[in-house]
Amino acid sequence: MENSSAKRLDFVRTNEKSDNSHHHYKHHHQIGHKHGEGSAIDYYAYASKIRGWNPSFKVAFSVLTLLLCIVLNNPLVSLAVIVSMAYLTVVKGGLPLGAYLSVLMIPLTFIILGTVAIGIDFSRQPIGQFNLYLGFGYLYTSIAKLKEMVFLMMKVFGAISAMIMMTLSTPSSEIIGVLRKAHVPKLIIELMNLIYRYIFILLDVFNNMRNSADSRQGYCDFKTSCQTFGNVASNMLVLSLKKANAYYTAMEARGYEGDLVFLEDEKPFQISQVIYAVGFMLFLLLLWYVTK
Amino acid sequence: MNTRLNIREKRFVAVVAAIALVFGFTPVASAMHIMEGYLPVGFSIAWGGICIPFLIAGYLSIKKTLKENPKTITLLAMAGAYVFVLSSLKIPSVTGSCSHMTGTGLGAILFGPAAVSILGIIVLLFQAILLAHGGLTTLGANTFSMAIAGPFVTYGIFILCKKIKINRHVGVFLAAAIGDLFTYCVTAFQLALAYPSESGGVAASMVKFLAVFAPTQLPLAIIEGILTVVIIIGLETYAQPELNDLGYLTGGVK
Repeated sequence: MENSSAKRLDFVRTNEKSDNSHHHYKHHHQIGHKHGEGSAIDYYAYASKIRGWNPSFKVAFSVLTLLLCIVLNNPLVSLAVIVSMAYLTVVKGGLPLGAYLSVLMIPLTFIILGTVAIGIDFSRQPIGQFNLYLGFGYLYTSIAKLKEMVFLMMKVFGAISAMIMMTLSTPSSEIIGVLRKAHVPKLIIELMNLIYRYIFILLDVFNNMRNSADSRQGYCDFKTSCQTFGNVASNMLVLSLKKANAYYTAMEARGYEGDLVFLEDEKPFQISQVIYAVGFMLFLLLLWYVTK
Repeated sequence: MNTRLNIREKRFVAVVAAIALVFGFTPVASAMHIMEGYLPVGFSIAWGGICIPFLIAGYLSIKKTLKENPKTITLLAMAGAYVFVLSSLKIPSVTGSCSHMTGTGLGAILFGPAAVSILGIIVLLFQAILLAHGGLTTLGANTFSMAIAGPFVTYGIFILCKKIKINRHVGVFLAAAIGDLFTYCVTAFQLALAYPSESGGVAASMVKFLAVFAPTQLPLAIIEGILTVVIIIGLETYAQPELNDLGYLTGGVK
């Protein structure tokens, strides 16, 4: 039986199209992976207090910080990035700390599994500071490897916090706008704009189907769940194809001739922010240089 | 070193085994995206570079389809949104864990591998932005494993099974499951290449990554295969005309 957490609202539709629907649902802020965190990120992006900052600035700042964090590969730099990005998102952006942590924890399983695989090694000889005999060889690790593991974890968390600083404060439509300004081909931008909108439409379709299947005992055991999942998914494809045709007609009726144009808010650069950002980058470089 | 374990060591082994078991049975398995910040810069750039020819091919193929039939733009966008939603859905599982489909296998069977490469990179970008799965610097590596390697293998096996006239549904199952497994192997290879083991090199490291992710990825591949078959059966029952429509999108399945 699909547990009740599945019914806890998985996908909060939260962009402007659905202002009236999101406050019916309660957000549970807790640490750990939650299914459907996805649209919650979209919701937080719209609610962020630093949403008014220039999106190009935010994207450039976040990507540069991310790159510095990876290129410099220095635990202190990672730590500085983690702290400052948390400050920007939680204090400046006004996101509740619990919500921030729960987004940060999404990749936790991958990080644990991935770093353990790096930190622990097999060998025929007993080498390293710690080893464990398994009958066919040794499972070993050493202080140096454990250190590498911890540093890698910090680097990954630094990089993730730099990325989610951007995604938690910049709605996807604005990120697409930035990509458009960066001369990504028009076809890709149009597809992205449409896909972004259709995602929420399909999620809505899916939620309705799932609820009606659930109220008819469609998820009562594993076998039925698989069958229901398949039926819902195939039905969703049929509906989405029908909708695609309808939307094209609607677009044509509004004068679509091969160009999709979206209105974008003008959000001017603030020189002070740029100065702070450059200062921050220099600080990271200095930190790296001093502790190299 | 003494090869016999004393009681304390035995207890330690038992505890470690228990932890391993717990992790093995409660996986939060998304379809194994490489996380942001995990790959060194050189590898991020290299994998991105490898993707470029495939992306250009996909871009040109989409552009050609659109020129012939402008109406396909909404269809393609819907296909992308569909793959995204499918990959973000929680799929049924026996252990109560939380896992997701890749969705690109089904995408390749329905829409053809060329279109999936472009849709795949967009979907992966949205997964990074909206779901915090994967990342920006690892986009190249993830695109290669999930939007290029997996779908191409899936499509290849699907066509092969059609040629040698295996039962269609068995073919779909094999295509989706093996495509998923291939994605998982490619990801393990990408990780191993970036972090080779100091005693055994890339090969040993790859074995480690395969082993560590096996408990989450093997059942997932089988479930993905089964679900893809169920979806295809549903489509054949209810959506024959739509399936035929999709044919012109890509020259995919009719």
